[in-house]
Amino acid sequence: MKRLSIFLLTFLFIFMSFNLTMAKGEYPARDITAVVVWGAGGGTDTCNRIVTAEMAKIIGVNINVINKPGGVAGSVGMNYSYSRKHDGYTITGLSESNVTAAVMGGFNKKFDIWYPFIVGGSPGIISVTPNTEWTTLEELVEAAQANPEEIRAGAGGAGSIHHLNLLALMKGTGIKFNFIPYPGSAPSQTAAMTGEINVVVTSLAEQQQLLRGGKLRALATLTPDPVELEGVGVIPSGLKIYPALTDYLPISQAIGMAVPNDVPVEVKTILTNAFKQALETEKVKNWAAENYYLLSGKTGKEASAEFAKLESLFSWTLWELGAAKINPEELGIPKP
Amino acid sequence: MLIWERLFDFLGIVGNLVVDPINILILFGAVLMGIIFGATPGLTATLGVALLTTITYGMNSSTAMIALLAIYVGGVYGGSYASILINIPGTAAAAATALDGYPIALRGEGGRAIGVTTTASAIGTIIGMLFVVTLSPIISNFALQFTSYEFFLLAFFGIIISGTLTTPDIVYKGWIAGFIGLFLATVGRDLLQFYPRFTFGLAELDSGIEVVPVLIGAFGIPQIIQVLRDRTTLPKMEKLQRILPEFRTIARYFVDIVRSALIGVGIGSIPGIGEDIAGWVSYGSAKNSSKHPESFGKGEYKAIVSTETANNACVGGAMIPLLNLGIPGSPPAAMLLGALMLHGIKPGPLISFDHPNFILEVAAILLLASLAMWINGILLARQVVKVLRIPSQIFMPIIGVLCIVGSYAIGMRIFNLYLMLPIGIIAYFLTEMKYPIAPLVMGVILGPMADENLRRGLLISKGSLMPIFSRPVSLILFIIIFLTVMTQLPIYKKVKVVVKERFFNS
Repeated sequence: MKRLSIFLLTFLFIFMSFNLTMAKGEYPARDITAVVVWGAGGGTDTCNRIVTAEMAKIIGVNINVINKPGGVAGSVGMNYSYSRKHDGYTITGLSESNVTAAVMGGFNKKFDIWYPFIVGGSPGIISVTPNTEWTTLEELVEAAQANPEEIRAGAGGAGSIHHLNLLALMKGTGIKFNFIPYPGSAPSQTAAMTGEINVVVTSLAEQQQLLRGGKLRALATLTPDPVELEGVGVIPSGLKIYPALTDYLPISQAIGMAVPNDVPVEVKTILTNAFKQALETEKVKNWAAENYYLLSGKTGKEASAEFAKLESLFSWTLWELGAAKINPEELGIPKP
Repeated sequence: MLIWERLFDFLGIVGNLVVDPINILILFGAVLMGIIFGATPGLTATLGVALLTTITYGMNSSTAMIALLAIYVGGVYGGSYASILINIPGTAAAAATALDGYPIALRGEGGRAIGVTTTASAIGTIIGMLFVVTLSPIISNFALQFTSYEFFLLAFFGIIISGTLTTPDIVYKGWIAGFIGLFLATVGRDLLQFYPRFTFGLAELDSGIEVVPVLIGAFGIPQIIQVLRDRTTLPKMEKLQRILPEFRTIARYFVDIVRSALIGVGIGSIPGIGEDIAGWVSYGSAKNSSKHPESFGKGEYKAIVSTETANNACVGGAMIPLLNLGIPGSPPAAMLLGALMLHGIKPGPLISFDHPNFILEVAAILLLASLAMWINGILLARQVVKVLRIPSQIFMPIIGVLCIVGSYAIGMRIFNLYLMLPIGIIAYFLTEMKYPIAPLVMGVILGPMADENLRRGLLISKGSLMPIFSRPVSLILFIIIFLTVMTQLPIYKKVKVVVKERFFNS
């Protein structure tokens, strides 16, 4: 028993030594919790884990990442972290898809209550199950025109960015898919591999392994530029194929984190500096390049402006579709 | 030739990992932490992996993988301690172990039970590992046979089978408990249209009822009340405990170990389903294959060997789709996926090109982790049994406090305590009326999966249930469920008698 307790203590000591906190009293005096409102292993989760780990080294305390997915557009996690003290010890890991939580009736506040930090995003890609006959976007669109609402298309839950991408594609080309919602990008990709759905929209970062492994076939990007993917070749831009799409696309991803706006100014400054430095580290840069992310680095006002734009676009699109529960006008969200 | 080369590569990797003393220290430390996490009601393997993920960021990727896989293996194994000794499963994965583990402990053989399950768990992990090395590509294709209807049927099967196996008197009671669990699982926003169901406007209920407070409340509270009410002493420990692996006992259950390991690997490889179902299915098949099924539930070694082998074999199973497709096979594996991405390893179809030796390395770590778990387990068993020396009047209130801490710790939500207590009290009365509790908990765990997938399946087929009968895997699952239910109904026995008379007696 004694030997056991000595062993336990040694082990604890080793782990604690990773964890020696520096100054007491001033922020940050203890570990910070990052609440990611999407599931583990997804884009927002990975971005937050990479960046917070670098930030932790800079500010000298641990940042523990936990996941609180669920609800509408991440409302569970947002409600949870917003209900904690606004002292900077809780960071919320979120993305552009969270701006719809308010109109979907999951979160009763506009997005401007947050002070956001944008890490970046990855371009959206439309792909199909490899054993289908469609090899180009045109063929898919023609097939969908011939059989409206027959082709099953999936993406993360209703109101997520990839759902909006799909909607924009349908609007811009005048086609209709049978939309099947999934809890996130990863399950929708799996469903596309099994053939449960045949069309899927997720980001290049999330899909690249499956595209390179031949488990999915990319048809087009939903951004103005084509992308080159090692082992697959050039994926053409859907916006070039159907110029009418430029009325609705691109909708750029904005993955990042936020603290409530009424967090003390000095806390925001410390976090902003740490965030900017973290994005400059080789580790984050390499990781972004390897995973097909484009880094942004916007914080504060700049970032808020980007989120406000996304909020207005997302909210009104959903309202026009009849998918929103609350009129964006009531919330004071301007039309795009 | 190729196999020999692979074997040498494998041994080389094992050697490389072992020469670094830090690795060994972390291996043993993380396994021990896992066991403690598993054994404490409320702290689960998933939580352990999640907490450790952040800490491993600064380590190199092999060391990090050692820490994470070791805590995963330890966590799955550790759940059996609490199941066997105090009848409160430390994790949902060990719920099936409590059925027979606790009666064994009541006989005073708690130490022996832990010794046997320790060896069974280690063998289970190693068999799981063998599958990771040899059959990965084939099994990961199997994982792709599962679409919405299959997930629905599988979840439903999990609830039905635990209901069927746990009822002390009439089987309907088990199913009723399962349906109560299913009902609890519908609370919260539905996952497809986000419609709030039974939330009564409470924001706390939006995300539904969490599993851990239900697990702790439903298993823990009734047990605490019962022990304190009856002033029963907890299982006594014998003077002479044979902890060391009784190789003869293990050899006797060799067939069960192999069968359970196969079940564990198979179930582990199905995305999103974990150790909890594996334990129940394996328990069921052990009971069916037994010559004297009536001894199950009364302290049968075969039962605990089967459940513990299966839930640990699940670890290897869950790694297969994770490594080959990037799809986590179980909740802790989902955490592992996040951790791997942090270390720049992207699991998926190209992993054998991007990181040629990675799968072998995972296998090597699983082997080391199971050995470390075995050594830890054998050393700990003797000590752990000593907790039973504490008088129950003191011990049970401590367990009560642990239950409260565990319910709170998982999400740091005080609301979970308001959930845990009433659920515990309801569960107490259900237990008094001889309703089994395990199916209720399984209902809460698997309910969201059943609900979401059934409705998505209906969306996809535009309202038709036909795909259940036209897809091979779902048809097989449907037949299994149908038979499981039918064989329990009185009409089945009547038909059996009639058929026997008609065809065999004339």
